[in-house]
Amino acid sequence: MKSTSSDNDEVSFTKDRESALALWLVLTFLLGSGCAFVRGNYGEDMNQGDVSTIKKGVSTRAEVASILGAPDRIITEPNGHDIFHYYHYDVKSGYVLIFSRTNIKSDDIFVIFNSAGVVEDVIAGKKKPPLEFQFWPFD
Amino acid sequence: MVWQRVTLNQPLTAQDVSFVVNGETSLSEVVEKLGAPNQMLSSNGGVVARYQFTDGRYFRVDFGWGLRFLIPFYSPELVLGGGGLGTDAFQVTYNDDWVVQDHGFAFHSQSSEFRLWPFKD
Repeated sequence: MKSTSSDNDEVSFTKDRESALALWLVLTFLLGSGCAFVRGNYGEDMNQGDVSTIKKGVSTRAEVASILGAPDRIITEPNGHDIFHYYHYDVKSGYVLIFSRTNIKSDDIFVIFNSAGVVEDVIAGKKKPPLEFQFWPFD
Repeated sequence: MVWQRVTLNQPLTAQDVSFVVNGETSLSEVVEKLGAPNQMLSSNGGVVARYQFTDGRYFRVDFGWGLRFLIPFYSPELVLGGGGLGTDAFQVTYNDDWVVQDHGFAFHSQSSEFRLWPFKD
């Protein structure tokens, strides 16, 4: 027996419904199981321009504090050096279904003062590349 | 069921630090190639700079999850899981002239692992 055009339409309609149902199930599973992308940071991001205004052998403790603010930590050396430590943390976290990955990056700046309170050295490397959002935990 | 991973900074390899020579390499050369350290500590032998990479892994399965469909008003948690946290550290000690006095690696990041069975010694 030959199939009629209305039979073909019905088969096509059923397939469309099945596809839509499958898509709906996948979306429900994806959204219902959860996915999240979260961003956070700790401390102020240091401006490289600000850091370059600090002059070795010239800038004083007070000048550094006025440019970069109060340090997050002060390290005192037995030989009379003081080190101001500034830090900034950046966090990117991805969560998809049952996989979660959190990447944290730290940017640190150290300013070393001699015993007279004048800048001896500034330790600030090149800014690290921005973090990526990831969720796959196995690489 | 969940696999979670947390990393802090990027790992350094022995090749990355092969340019460091005790008694020759200066602080500025190290910073130029490796960036600023994560930590500077005061010690009697000089200033110690540390570069750290931390890797944490955690895995858990809730075997009671499916029971919510059988017991509507009470869904007990039957969780097994475990993980670990490890830190690789590259440490450089500088003398008073900011020249490398000694340096070394500590590798511990591989101590972190996804663990299903928490009762193993």
